[in-house]
Amino acid sequence: MVYRPGTADATDPEFVEALAVARQDPELHRWFEEHCATHRAIRTRFKEIAAPDGLKGQILSEFKMRRAMVWWKTPIEIAAVAALILILIGAVLWFRPESEAPEGVNFATFRGRMVAAVLRNYRMTLETADAREVRAHLAQNNAPANYTVPASLERLPLVGCGLLSWQDKPVSMLCFRSGKPLEPFQKSDVFLFVVDEKAMPDPPHAKAPEIRAVKKFVTASWTADGKIYVLATEGDEALIRSYL
Amino acid sequence: MAHGLDFESVVARYYEPLYQFAFSLTRAEADACDLTQQTFYVWATKGHQLRDPAKVKTWLFTTLHRGFLESYRRQTRFPQQDLESVGDELPAISSPLANQLDSTQVLRALAQVDEVYQAPVALFYLEDCSYKEIAEILAIPMGTVKSRIARGIAQLQKLLADDFSTPEWTRPEPSE
Repeated sequence: MVYRPGTADATDPEFVEALAVARQDPELHRWFEEHCATHRAIRTRFKEIAAPDGLKGQILSEFKMRRAMVWWKTPIEIAAVAALILILIGAVLWFRPESEAPEGVNFATFRGRMVAAVLRNYRMTLETADAREVRAHLAQNNAPANYTVPASLERLPLVGCGLLSWQDKPVSMLCFRSGKPLEPFQKSDVFLFVVDEKAMPDPPHAKAPEIRAVKKFVTASWTADGKIYVLATEGDEALIRSYL
Repeated sequence: MAHGLDFESVVARYYEPLYQFAFSLTRAEADACDLTQQTFYVWATKGHQLRDPAKVKTWLFTTLHRGFLESYRRQTRFPQQDLESVGDELPAISSPLANQLDSTQVLRALAQVDEVYQAPVALFYLEDCSYKEIAEILAIPMGTVKSRIARGIAQLQKLLADDFSTPEWTRPEPSE
């Protein structure tokens, strides 16, 4: 190793002993002083290299310009931005209700969200065929539990229930089986959603269920006893009316 | 910017030593500016990946050196030599002579030093980096750093001494 005066080399264990010897030996000391002087002289020449005027400003201005353009700099970034846009568009389309009603806190949006929820990988929080267990579970979780299931629907096998939410209001999801063959990942194919009427500024009519296609589902919606009901399944109007 | 190190403060702290290192390697102002700017561009785009703020200096010098190797170095492999042969390569220039030098002479001599020694010697004299940091920047073992610095200095000082003993009209012109 070559010693550099005026640096941390002075405390480097590899140098400490040699420096001590150099201090005690006059001839070695002279050589050492000459080494340090030569080093300082050459070092000074290196440190005299001056960066051109304006280099710092040029670096900073290029940074600002490139930062503004950075999103469009490489094909990878362009592809990433394009993918992000597609994902956002997809998300908007996915959650958009099928009706003409504007996005917001209204019944059409609620109905669309509930259908979207079961089209995705929904999760039942309780799997049981026991209706009393289902009510108890929903009540325990502060979800609507004093609902009335239409008599025809009640004849379908109950599979379980799930807990959803809408505008911070709990939504009960009852899951039934129609008897049709299910996909391997499916556990149910008829869904009844129940939410408090106060959660909606425009609840559906009380007496006549409103039939509406939402994505690949058909829905029937009505209001009764302070509760809003949405029944959803794959099929047509005749099928869903058969459950009412 | 990563670790709260804003771009401007990193530039303010390191652009000059980086330029000095780049100029020591390239001996051309335009090339040194390009290398320095390129280094900060890489820092701006990838610096956030650096986890240890204490490594900023090493990271910048390493990036600059890699940029230099990619752009300027001849595609040659340099054989490594053993440290034992360094002993007889003693400094050949006295301090009074060294004090008469100017930067151009020193860099001209550095250009004639074996290429494999040039970066270690420049980093050694710029004194911004420890031996350990030089080893990290050049991605070579510590022992190799030591031997390259020792040999490079010996070559440099001999060339400078020869420079004084050679009539000025016969001295080689700078490569650029």
